[in-house]
Amino acid sequence: MAGTSVRDIRLDLFRGLALWFIFLDHIPTNIVSWLTVRNYGFSDATEIFVFISGYTAVIAYSRMMEQEGWTRAAARIYRRVWQLYVAHILLFVAFSAQIAWVSIARDTPALIEEMELLGLGQNPYRAILEAALLKFRPVNLDVLPLYIVLLAAFPLVLPLVIRWPFAVIAASVGLYAATCHYNWNLPAYPDEKVWYFNPMAWQVVFHVGAACAVLGPKLVWLDRFRGLLTTLAIAFILFAAFISLSWHYNPLERLVPHWVGRLIYPIDKTNIDVLRFLHFLAVAWLVRLAVPIDAPSLRWPIWQPLRRCGEASLLIFCIGTFLALSGQVIVGYYEDSILSQIVVSIGGIAIMCLAAYLAAWSKGGGPSASARRRPLAEAYK
Amino acid sequence: MTVGLAASPAFAQSMKLCRAKPELLELGAPLPVARKALAERKQLRIIALGSSSTSGYGASNPAFAYPTQLRIGLEKALPGVDIEVINRGIGGQDVEEMAARMRTEMQHNPASLVIWQTGTNAAIRQMPLDKFDKTLRGGLALGKSLGADFVLMNLQYVPAVVAAPDKEAYEKVMAAAAKEYAAGLFRRYDIMQSWYEDGMPYAQFVQLDGLHLNDFGQKCIGKLLTRSILSALTGP
Repeated sequence: MAGTSVRDIRLDLFRGLALWFIFLDHIPTNIVSWLTVRNYGFSDATEIFVFISGYTAVIAYSRMMEQEGWTRAAARIYRRVWQLYVAHILLFVAFSAQIAWVSIARDTPALIEEMELLGLGQNPYRAILEAALLKFRPVNLDVLPLYIVLLAAFPLVLPLVIRWPFAVIAASVGLYAATCHYNWNLPAYPDEKVWYFNPMAWQVVFHVGAACAVLGPKLVWLDRFRGLLTTLAIAFILFAAFISLSWHYNPLERLVPHWVGRLIYPIDKTNIDVLRFLHFLAVAWLVRLAVPIDAPSLRWPIWQPLRRCGEASLLIFCIGTFLALSGQVIVGYYEDSILSQIVVSIGGIAIMCLAAYLAAWSKGGGPSASARRRPLAEAYK
Repeated sequence: MTVGLAASPAFAQSMKLCRAKPELLELGAPLPVARKALAERKQLRIIALGSSSTSGYGASNPAFAYPTQLRIGLEKALPGVDIEVINRGIGGQDVEEMAARMRTEMQHNPASLVIWQTGTNAAIRQMPLDKFDKTLRGGLALGKSLGADFVLMNLQYVPAVVAAPDKEAYEKVMAAAAKEYAAGLFRRYDIMQSWYEDGMPYAQFVQLDGLHLNDFGQKCIGKLLTRSILSALTGP
């Protein structure tokens, strides 16, 4: 994102929101997750996160490629891939350590057993090797490996998407379709497992995000069909909301005809079902209309915590994943009481925000950082 | 720390809603091989052969899948018995792939009881019924000849299966095959249907994809299966 004259605040804001949602949704019993998108439609925070990651990848590296050449941009991308990898391994260690600590501190054999069940205990040496190869990922550690793979391929994609965004969309959709049809996936550990977020399917979200960043202002072309697209988007979102709410209310569920069920289920997450992707695109379309890049409301101070979290996305993602596990343990300890769910949710988000502000503050000193922050600083004068 | 919590897992989740009528938990088979292993060798080796609900797809902890729940439950109920439950669930498979690997699985892990979870993917993909029937029976015949008891675990009652036109036909095929080969039948479909009909929403036990069981669903099926198997092993 460095180097762009106008920072698209929406990217930070919605990425921050996605990070909050990911945290809330990763606590299995959490009443606060009713505030997140996943209960009102097919797609969830993962789509937001991956789409914005593709979008920002273009913004971050395209100018660098233009000015300093492809090699330099590719090197920078790989520097980022390395950061992601290090963050993932660190998160893996911290995550496992937290489980070990909970098991030991509570000193119950059943707990240590559960800890083994994350797959570490049966064959720890092999598990560590597989973790380093990104094949062994305990629960909830699936998003960063996906991001690593997508970004690792990005030096090849970047020059293509800048020149031929539509061709990249077509190729990406083609790979997605072939992946779903032939059931391709990458191997994982233990042996018969595959990647929970299949990179060959999820790349479609990332690359459509990247192409949208390249097209940028040219997307205005779509406004010729604004009425039609908006109607379709609203209709689809209402349909998805009805189906999603029917999972919570049996009387609604009985209204869904069997032929509709046959058509839509299962709504696969591993290979990002087309319904999920369409739902995300419909939401993105409405957000684009409702929140233009220069909307004054974007600069309202109440959004600042979200923006800060979005700016430090890697850090906040790691902290959120770690805290979601703590939250899960705490909520379990209080026997799923609603109060514990609310306290844990608010507390977790507060810690994430605190970390994001600290990150922004600690970066504040350097000359490059202050240059980057100028547009933001002006907004708060 | 309260006493009640000490026995509960680290990631407790209210199991108050986890229940089933006793008659739905009857396997309808005495499991002689497993009983003998239990009585003579104080040993119980179980293979859980199945697809994603055996492997525990999408659960927030693989321990919630029924094979591990079964092991934990049996160890608690049968102290001093050497219990092992080998998870051989491979996501996306159904009766054909599983029948094909039956021999290898059983030779790698000689077991006295095989839990064969199948039918869900077949019903969703509309595998021809006669083929389903034939392959299932072939697998049972082969497995039985290798000297283990069998328990068939039938379909899941989830939106993706309920929408399939003749899911009950697959259920019937499984019940008939179980009877013919003196295998037990764990009536997962009926148990889950009774949850739904008692007013439990899908969101309580199904993931948002409308197919896979969530943490509650996986754990609860594991607990109920444990109860079924225990009463079959220790009953008259």
